[in-house]
Amino acid sequence: MGGALLEVRDLKTYFVSKQSTVKAVDGVDFSVSQGRVLCIVGESGSGKSVTSLSLMRLVQGPQGRIVSGEVLLEGRDLLRMSERQMSDVRGNEIGMIFQEPMSALNPVMKIGDQIGEVLVRHRHISRREAREKAVELLRNVGLARADEMVHEYPHQLSGGMRQRAMIAMAMACQPKLLLADEPTTALDVTIQAQVLDLMRALQKETGTAIILVTHDLGVVAEMADDVVVMYAGQIVESGPADEIFDRPLHPYTRALMDSIPVIEEERERLRAIPGTVPSAAHFPEGCRFADRCSLVEGRCRERLPELRELGPGHSVRCHLA
Amino acid sequence: MATYIIRRLLGLIPTLFVITVIVFLLMHAMPGNAFEALVFNPRLKNAAAIYNRLVQENGLNQSLPVQYFDWIKNLLQGNLGISYSLNMPVSELIATYLPNTLLLAVTAEIIILVVSIPIGLYQARNVNGPFDVLSSFIAVLFYSIPGFVFALLLIYLLSFTFNLLPSSGTVTPGVPWSGDFADRVSHLLLPALALSLPGLAYYTRLTRGNSLQVIVADFVRTARAKGLRGPRILFRHVLRNAVIPIIAQFGLDLGGLFSGAVILEQIFTWPGMGELSINANLNRDYPLILGTTLLFAITVLIGNLLADILLAFADPRIRYD
Ligand SMILES: Nc1ncnc2c1ncn2[C@@H]1O[C@H](COP(=O)(O)OP(=O)(O)OP(=O)(O)O)[C@@H](O)[C@H]1O
Ligand SMILES: [Mg+2]
Repeated sequence: MGGALLEVRDLKTYFVSKQSTVKAVDGVDFSVSQGRVLCIVGESGSGKSVTSLSLMRLVQGPQGRIVSGEVLLEGRDLLRMSERQMSDVRGNEIGMIFQEPMSALNPVMKIGDQIGEVLVRHRHISRREAREKAVELLRNVGLARADEMVHEYPHQLSGGMRQRAMIAMAMACQPKLLLADEPTTALDVTIQAQVLDLMRALQKETGTAIILVTHDLGVVAEMADDVVVMYAGQIVESGPADEIFDRPLHPYTRALMDSIPVIEEERERLRAIPGTVPSAAHFPEGCRFADRCSLVEGRCRERLPELRELGPGHSVRCHLA
Repeated sequence: MATYIIRRLLGLIPTLFVITVIVFLLMHAMPGNAFEALVFNPRLKNAAAIYNRLVQENGLNQSLPVQYFDWIKNLLQGNLGISYSLNMPVSELIATYLPNTLLLAVTAEIIILVVSIPIGLYQARNVNGPFDVLSSFIAVLFYSIPGFVFALLLIYLLSFTFNLLPSSGTVTPGVPWSGDFADRVSHLLLPALALSLPGLAYYTRLTRGNSLQVIVADFVRTARAKGLRGPRILFRHVLRNAVIPIIAQFGLDLGGLFSGAVILEQIFTWPGMGELSINANLNRDYPLILGTTLLFAITVLIGNLLADILLAFADPRIRYD
């Protein structure tokens, strides 16, 4: 994957306090090419959000610390930039949207100003021009009432409208990469589909690469070009989406696929994976999935498996694969 | 908005009515009246006759309800009566003394807001830093010591020891520059400072606490993800939200500040409402007691109304219709 837009190498983000060290992200490598959609999946607490926040260097300090790694955006290491240089990247070269569109918007600021602000910051245009541009951006994300909406406050919009406004804000400066952390989780199912369609359409139109964080494999199936499966702060499997869905190699990935809700006799059945994710403060010696794995062997508990490439672009962290 | 204000003002009338009844009853529950002292003057031969005449003239021989409705009737015609002890219309007395108290209270309020909000914000930004720890300690100290103790301390230090500021009256009598701007300001500073100190400490804590809550809010993270820089995030996003509860508190405290001035006016011999109302009460000067107390009640109610109006401007989520 030469000429990757974003390349993440051995990223480690820990939350260090006097009592413990929480290894939320513990050595993650992946890359995204221009115009591709990469989905990061995994159960709650696997480190998806911390990974995406780390890319933007937005992990909550002082406990949260990126302890090592490289995040190369077109070859420039974001982790080595000054805070000032980094702020030029945020919102400009990388846009970000979050799970809760209500709390992610400033409740006392007009939608138009919140969108305009990012243009004033990076495009150095006047506030008046920014407001006009905001109307246009809101139209582009399918909000017909854009003219009025720029003068409204977040509480006056529905959840779906807010998330569209968030997308308009994140896309305002035509970023090369859009980071979306569970952008549809807080929305109704029908609205979810609309928002995903919108992201797809914008991606086609602008050629933006997308990193989409989700725990919903349905979303992955619909959106992903490439997939990264995370478990306990590490990648356990990664590869092209077709590969992952057709030939899942890691027992955790297979278990995840089995846990997709199946409509059967008109009722949803969800086969949850037994057991729980090990605490990020005390990971076991060997494979972190060992305690929940049905295929576990002696060596699994002795040595942490390496991430090995077993097919073209398809890597797995499992002794048995 | 205008109809809202008018409705709220009309809504104050029943409250004021109840307050006047209570004040009226309490006032008459105080032992003695304005003229009883005359009876005990040995040099007055016909003391009893004079007493009876005065009581009759001022209607004090009538039943309380009659007296009360007399007072209300006059009040509605804009007549607050004549002070027994000072022999002047109550309205004229208030017109003379009120501006001094207003000046004192408003100056103190400005000092409080202008000093405490930046300090609190800075503390929150560098929480647990040396400045935060030191200034928080001082704030708690200020807050837990009564204002008049500080007043005495300030007089001792700034006036008595270093002779920097005058400690009594509103102007320097008997000098050519008596009553010019600098003269008035120098007289105002000490009492205003003393009046503002406890509030200063309290509002610093309030700003710090609110800002700390807002700083970790999702929308502040969004602001950072947009590439905005420190000052803009701090003022446009953090402070703009943190200031809302401060406004609410501010309105509640406005009336309190007014009555807080009572004690300090005594210490600084500041000719304001405090002096007027204390004398009125000591002399059982019924018309003046009613007039001054009514005014105190009005300031509390106006303060609340003002806070609600400001709040409606500061927080678009509040609807005022
Ligand atoms: N501010 C923090 N302080 C301490 N630990 C944290 C903090 N934020 C996250 N963590 C820890 O980091 C780990 C990964 O959290 P993260 O939020 O990335 O999970 P996630 O995969 O996004 O889960 P979810 O699906 O619930 O959003 C968790 O164990 C979590 O407890
Ligand atoms: Mg998350």
